[in-house]
Amino acid sequence: MIEFRDFSYRYPTAAADSLSSLSLQIPRGQFCAVVGANGAGKSTFCFAASGFIPHFFRGEAHGSVELAGKPLAEAEFGSLAAEVGIVFQNPFNQISGARFTVREEIAFGLENLGVERGEMQTRIQLALEVVDLVDVAERSPFELSGGQQQRVALASMFAMRPQVLVLDEPTSQLDPRGTREVFRAIAALSEAGTTIILAGHKLEWLAEFADRAILLDQGRVIADGDPDTIFAMETMGEVGVGRTQFTDVAAAAQRAGMLKDHAALPVTLAQAEAFFS
Amino acid sequence: MQAQSIYIDHPSALHQLNPLTKLTFTLVFLVAAFALPNAVALIATFVLILVPLAASGGLLLPLLRSAFWLVLPFAISLALIQGFFSPGQTALFSLGPFTMTLEGLGSGLTFAARLLLALGGTLLLMLSTRPDKLMLALRQRGLPESLSYIVLTALQIFPRFQERARTILDAQKSRGLETEVGLLRRLALLVPLIAPLVLGSIVEVEERAMALEARAFSYKTIKTSWISLEDSRAQSILRAAILFFGVVLVYLRLTGFWPQ
Repeated sequence: MIEFRDFSYRYPTAAADSLSSLSLQIPRGQFCAVVGANGAGKSTFCFAASGFIPHFFRGEAHGSVELAGKPLAEAEFGSLAAEVGIVFQNPFNQISGARFTVREEIAFGLENLGVERGEMQTRIQLALEVVDLVDVAERSPFELSGGQQQRVALASMFAMRPQVLVLDEPTSQLDPRGTREVFRAIAALSEAGTTIILAGHKLEWLAEFADRAILLDQGRVIADGDPDTIFAMETMGEVGVGRTQFTDVAAAAQRAGMLKDHAALPVTLAQAEAFFS
Repeated sequence: MQAQSIYIDHPSALHQLNPLTKLTFTLVFLVAAFALPNAVALIATFVLILVPLAASGGLLLPLLRSAFWLVLPFAISLALIQGFFSPGQTALFSLGPFTMTLEGLGSGLTFAARLLLALGGTLLLMLSTRPDKLMLALRQRGLPESLSYIVLTALQIFPRFQERARTILDAQKSRGLETEVGLLRRLALLVPLIAPLVLGSIVEVEERAMALEARAFSYKTIKTSWISLEDSRAQSILRAAILFFGVVLVYLRLTGFWPQ
């Protein structure tokens, strides 16, 4: 379980806190979406949940972030990678450049953890299957599409068997096809029991897979709960996130008196189909 | 992007050699480049030793092409500077107040030959050795992980810069910047290229550092390896012999055995 205890953080040159007095728990195995406008604190949340704050980014931190009851700030940074994995926005910059094939790239983290070769083989094969990259295992990671590269990053993390996987806008640079590939891979990792914390803007996808959504605004949690409920709130527009087209169309239809008021607004295409039928 | 290094895969004995053996070759080529006395000895070493080695690995053309384009600008500028400004007795021709001398020209070309041999030796290593295998070989010999990663990234810096520069140029071309122009205009084009190139690289360094940390790069344990390296007693003897040859070259140079 990850727990934020009255956690605040301010970057070294910033005038205001990027996260303010956050207190929340993310139970083991949960798929938690973190949404908010640009600058709301999503990336900072990810860095705090993965220990990059305060180990990599200095700045001013108050309170604590704990993994299974142990403060991340007190853990040795190098060893945290075995507990919490993190995937960043840019797929290209996550390729180590130190290996020639996808299989070797996934092995890189395992080598650093000192995993024996036989065990490595098992973990790599499983990771390749989970993210559906078996066919390109012997190709250079640099020859792959953005979506495939992001899945290599996911597989690399999954093979390291972290308790928690934090993803900071992993599909922001991907086309719809790459986005679909990556979300399916994340869903597979979630089904395998990994706790997922995913910061992003793609509400349709998040609503489909996430168990819970946290809405951030100016570093504070302003809503926390069921994704379908939160993503359909009018507040989403007010904090600069907006709602999906399905929600807006359904809300407009309700306002025009075309549909019943009490029906829950849809967020995804499947929900919209059910809503309008 | 296709690759992060200039390594060319080829089924050859040269490629199969342990990276340390090839690194030893390179070190001795570097020593020879500054120990050998004149252009004849330097070119002879290049042609009689380096060229057959490269040919054995199927790397002759890429090596010659890269070495030629890298050395050419230095060769021209060295020949001009040394030719016009070094003292010499035999005048070849004059250009205004400056006179090109045979001795100066020879000195410039000798320096260019030194560069050619040093660069050729380095290219032989880079073209025939996977950077990750070189990194592993160095790590197995006790080089700290972070230092061996620096060696690796140093080997990759040129292809990465080339790729990034190409992307920036393409982006600028799409916004109307003319790049198919004369030399002087091209030099001016470096200004809008360098700022995004350098700034982008700085951002990339931070992102890459974070990605490495996420992959347990600084985790304190005995690291294992997915890839394996071949080595043999014969290669150890070969390395010792090459190193001995390098030491002899330095000795001959320092004792003034060769006429300057």
